[in-house]
Amino acid sequence: MTIIDAGVLPALGHALPPLAVRLTRETLVRYAGAGGDFNPIHYSDHAAASLGLPGVIAHGMLTMGTALRVVTGWAGPGAVVLSYSARFTRPVIVPDDGIGSLLEVTGVISDVEGSVLTVSVEVFCSGEKVLGAGRVVVDLGRPG
Amino acid sequence: MEFVPISAEHARRAYPPSAPYEVTQAKVAEFEAALGLDPSEMVPRQAPPTFGVVITHAAWSLMFSDPELDVSLSRTIHGDQRFTYQRPLHVGDVVTATLEIQNVKVRGSTERINVAVAVRDQVDAPVLTVEATLFHTREGVE
Repeated sequence: MTIIDAGVLPALGHALPPLAVRLTRETLVRYAGAGGDFNPIHYSDHAAASLGLPGVIAHGMLTMGTALRVVTGWAGPGAVVLSYSARFTRPVIVPDDGIGSLLEVTGVISDVEGSVLTVSVEVFCSGEKVLGAGRVVVDLGRPG
Repeated sequence: MEFVPISAEHARRAYPPSAPYEVTQAKVAEFEAALGLDPSEMVPRQAPPTFGVVITHAAWSLMFSDPELDVSLSRTIHGDQRFTYQRPLHVGDVVTATLEIQNVKVRGSTERINVAVAVRDQVDAPVLTVEATLFHTREGVE
């Protein structure tokens, strides 16, 4: 169900329901296979250390793909994403401790033009911004 | 033989299209599961928006295997990413990915590489464009 279907026009500055997603080493392994990104810094502490990283980090595209759920989960299957961009501001360290790291995703409507919305998306991990300048342009379609 | 690594002179370097890739329901379902996407929130038989990375990796690998550039995936960190869709990608689409290096800036032992990948369908119509900034580190870390 979209907001438009519910008869309420999405408003500028409206915050979408936030999303919290936990990433573990299993999430990373699963994404490496599904996404086809086998960069060893996403599964090998040794490879990560050789780049000066404190440990294995999540794929930027895992964070970015996961963050989009804050928009698509809210907008529903009728919405069409027209563009999506983001900057990876800090690496997401995912320790091999069975707990992993928690991503907290926020989305705020920053532009409205008819049925086309722009949503500004940010992702935080341990209080630090790991994905910034996120911009999703999505067409909610026309009601009825 | 001494390598001449990637430099600003490689801007506009383009690679041939990747081998045709068929989008299958099984791969889309695997990708959705890896991102924790709820199938009931997705359009049936349509790939999720960031699925384009699966196709662009084939094009990226052409750049990483280019001996003239001497760049390695394992020494690369992703800086930013932009997807622009001309239309949604569907199960059954057969697509190719064509990579062009747009810009290279060298600062010390780190290279900032901007790449753009154009994804086109079986009738050569554009489907999406994927732009990325990659940071490649040439020196080891003590």
